[in-house]
Amino acid sequence: MTTDIFTYIDSSQSESGSGGPLEGKTIAIQPNMSVRGWPTEAGSSALERFVALEDATVVERLKEAGATIRGSTCMSELGFGLVGDSAARAVAEGEVDIALVTDTMGEARVSASATGLFGFKPSYGIVSRFGLIGLVPSMECFGIMAKTPAEIIAVLEAITGADDRDFSMSEDAVLDFGDFDRDQPITGTLGVIRENSEFLDRNESKAFDVAISRLEEVGINIREVSLEECGLFRTVHNVIGSVEASSSAGKYDGVRYGHRTQSSRNWNEMYLKSRAESFGLPVKAYLFQGAYFQFENYKAFENACRLRSGLVKQTEALYDEVDFLAVPTRNNGLSIDETRTIDEIYDLFTFTLPANVTGQPAIHVPGSLFGREKDPGLQFIAPRLGDVRLLSLAAKLRIFAKGDK
Amino acid sequence: MDYEAVIGLEIHVQLNSETKMFCDCPNRPGDEPNQNTCPICLWLPGAIPKFSAEVLEKATLAALALNCEVQQLNAFDQKVYYYPDLPKGFQLSQAHKPLAKNGWVEITGEGGQPKKIGIHQAHMEEDVAKLVHETEGKTSISLVDFNRAGIPLVEIVSEPEIRTPQEAMEYIKALRAQIRYVGSAECSMEQGTMRVDANISIRPRGTNELNTKVEVKNMNSVHNVGDAIAYETIRQAECIKSGESIILHTRLWDPEKRVTLPMRGKFEGPCVPDPSVPQVAISAEWLDNIRSLLPEMPNRKAERFMNDYKLTRDEAVLMSSERDLSEYFEAVTGHNVPPRTAVHWIATQLLPALRDCDQTVTDTTVTPERLAGLLVMLERDEINAKSAREVLLKLFESDQSSEAIVKQFGFKQVSDTEALETIVDEILSANPQAIDDFKNGTAKALGFLIGQAMQASQGKANPKLVKELLMQRLQ
Repeated sequence: MTTDIFTYIDSSQSESGSGGPLEGKTIAIQPNMSVRGWPTEAGSSALERFVALEDATVVERLKEAGATIRGSTCMSELGFGLVGDSAARAVAEGEVDIALVTDTMGEARVSASATGLFGFKPSYGIVSRFGLIGLVPSMECFGIMAKTPAEIIAVLEAITGADDRDFSMSEDAVLDFGDFDRDQPITGTLGVIRENSEFLDRNESKAFDVAISRLEEVGINIREVSLEECGLFRTVHNVIGSVEASSSAGKYDGVRYGHRTQSSRNWNEMYLKSRAESFGLPVKAYLFQGAYFQFENYKAFENACRLRSGLVKQTEALYDEVDFLAVPTRNNGLSIDETRTIDEIYDLFTFTLPANVTGQPAIHVPGSLFGREKDPGLQFIAPRLGDVRLLSLAAKLRIFAKGDK
Repeated sequence: MDYEAVIGLEIHVQLNSETKMFCDCPNRPGDEPNQNTCPICLWLPGAIPKFSAEVLEKATLAALALNCEVQQLNAFDQKVYYYPDLPKGFQLSQAHKPLAKNGWVEITGEGGQPKKIGIHQAHMEEDVAKLVHETEGKTSISLVDFNRAGIPLVEIVSEPEIRTPQEAMEYIKALRAQIRYVGSAECSMEQGTMRVDANISIRPRGTNELNTKVEVKNMNSVHNVGDAIAYETIRQAECIKSGESIILHTRLWDPEKRVTLPMRGKFEGPCVPDPSVPQVAISAEWLDNIRSLLPEMPNRKAERFMNDYKLTRDEAVLMSSERDLSEYFEAVTGHNVPPRTAVHWIATQLLPALRDCDQTVTDTTVTPERLAGLLVMLERDEINAKSAREVLLKLFESDQSSEAIVKQFGFKQVSDTEALETIVDEILSANPQAIDDFKNGTAKALGFLIGQAMQASQGKANPKLVKELLMQRLQ
C-alpha cells in the first residue's frame, strides 16, 4: 500500500518488543534503509524490485527499543537532493512521531526547517551504516526529524553504539547520555561565523539576526568567530561527494536487480543502456561529474581531500573559543521541490553541508522557538561527539520558548 | 646493436586464509559456483566490507618473507573499472598506501653469482569474480561465479632489475619458496594461485635507458614466463631494427603458438581512496608478534644444513627449498641416519617415488621413521642398496616397518662368509674363461663375476664381501 507520503506501508503492523524506551513511538524510514522483506528501491529504477535481505542495524535497534516502523517515505533518487521527499511531512502531518532520513548534505535539517521540526545529524561514525544504501559513505549518516529534541535523543540513544557489521565506525564513538540535561540553565558561548553572512540573502540575514538576538536575550553569550575558508565547504563536498557517489553507484548494472534494458547487443551496451534508462538527470549529472574527477582530474579530487582535512581542523579549533556554533539553515520555502541541478541542490544545502564534511553533529531548531513560525530557524553545531550536549541545548531552548517551566 | 631486456614482474599470490578478505565466506574458489557468497562479496546494496585480521596476518608474513618494510599505515583504494567480473565497478586494492615497500629476494644470477632483485612494494588486493562463457544453442551466454570474488591476494611488484628470462624464472621460484615457507600461500601457477605479469622493455646493452614497456600476461607456468619474455625481447628488438617504435600496450602469451599477441586495449582506471574500509594501523608490538611467527627461512636453513650436517651447497639448497621437505629431512636424520645418506635417498629415491604415486612428504605413508628404519639397516650392512630400493617400494604398499618387510621378504643381506664362499667357489668353477680374462688384465671380468655371484644370491649378497672373496681367490 502506498500514499503520497509512504512508498511502502508495513501492513503486518507487527508489534515490536514492549517496554522499551521507544514503546508507542511510530517511525518512518526511507526506502534506502534495509528492512528484511521490504522493497528497498532507494527512489531509483536502478534498484527496481530489490528486496532487503536483512534488517539494517538501526532498524533492528529501533525495534528492540519498542518502536513501530510504519513504512518508508518517498525519497529523491538515491537520496540526492530533496525532490519528492516526504519524510518531514510524515512527521509534520502526524503520520508518525519520528522520521529517519539519509543526511548527506543536510537533508534532515533542511526538511525540518521547511516544516517547522527539529532535524538532527549525529557525529559521523557513531551510528552503524550497515543496511543503509548510501551514496557518499564518508559524509552520510542517519538523520532524525521529530517535533521535540527529547524524541530525537531517545532515538539516538537506541541506535548509537558499536556494531561489528560496520567496521568503519569510530572506536572512540561512545556517548554519555547522562549529559542530557534539559533542566539546567542555559550556559556556554555560541559562535557566529562572520564569513557566513556573505552567503545570506536579505531575508535570511534578517531572520538569522532576530534569532541570535533572542538567544542573547535569554542570556546566551554570543561571540563572532572567523572561518576564512568556509566558502570552500561547498566545493569540497561537491567534488568528494560526486566521486564517492560515482563509485557507490557503479554497482547498479541492472543484472541481478534493478531495471534492465530490453534491447542490447552485448554486455557493454546492456550496462550503458540499463544505466541510461534507470537514472534521472540530477543523479546522472552528479555521477558523471564524479567520474570526471576520477578519470580526468584526479588532482582536483586530491586537493579537495586536502582542503577537507584543513577545514576539519579549522572548524574543530573554533571550539577552543566557543561551545557551539550557530549557523543559518536555508530552506528556500516551497522551492525545495524545484531544486534539480547540481548547483541548485548545493545552493539549498550551503549551510548544512559543512557538518557533513567535518563529521560534526548538528541540530536544526525551528523558527517557532524564537516566536517566528515562518522563519527558517537555525542550526547549532558542536564538536565531534558533542551530540548529547547539543541536544540538551536544543531541549533547554524549547522549554524556554514554550515557557514550560 | 646488442640489446638487453629490462624486466619487472607483477606477481599476484592468492593467500590461503580460511575466509575471504572482507567477509566470512570460505576461501574455496573451486567449490560449486556461487556457493561461497554473501551480501558483502556479492556487493549487494547496504553491505559494508569487514577487513579480515587473518588476511592481514598472512599478507604481513608474506611481506616479511620478502624482506619488505611493513608500513605503519596502509589503506585501501578503489581501482575503478567496469567489467562483468567486477559488478561493483571497483576493485579494493592499495595504490597510495601499500602494506609494505622496499623488499628483495636473492637469486642465482646469470653468472652463477647471487643477485638481489628488489621489490618495489607488496600490497593487498581482492580477487574478482570468474567469468564462464558458454553457449545455449546459438546464443552465447556469460555466467559469473562469485566464489573467487573477494579472495585475498598479495600483489608483489618487483623493481625492473631482472635482465634475462632465466633470472625471471629464478626470481619467481625464489619468491615462491619464501612465501610458501611462511605458509601464507601455495603459489601454484598451474593451479592459478599465483599469476605473473611481466613488464618488458629493451635498451642498448650498457645504457641506463628506460624505454616504453610492454606488459605480457597469461603465462600459466614458470617456463612459460621465461619463454614469453624471451619471445617478447626478440620481438621488440626486431621492431626497433625495422624502424617501428614500441608503444605501451598489453600482450597475451599464446601457449599453443608460443608467441605474444596484442590484447584489446584495457582501460586503466584511477585509484580513489575507499571511504568504507578504515585505514589499517600497524603497531610495532603487533608487527613484532607477527615477526616472531616467521620460521627459519631457506637461506639461513641451507647455511645451517651445510654447517651442522656437512651437506654440500647443492644438497643443502635442495633440502631447504621447501619447508615440509626440510622438516622431513631433519626428522630422518633424527633417527641416526647419516645426513648425506638421508639426502641421497630422499633426493634420488623417495621424491621420484612420491611423484609416481602422487604423494607429498607431508601426506605419504612413508614417514620419516619408516624411511629411517630402512636407511639404518643399509648403514649397518644388513641389506644392500638394491634390496633397500625394493624395500622402499614395499613401504608404499604396506604399513609394516622396514625391518618387518626385510624379514618377511628375505631381503637380509648375506654377509655370512661361509655361505658366500660356497657361492663364490661355484661361480669361479662355472666361469674359467672369466678367470683367464681377469688374469690377462681384463678388469671387466671381475665385475662380471661379482654380478654372477649377486645373481646366484638373488641379490642378497653383500657385494663388498663378494668382491673381497673373489680377489682373495683370484690372486
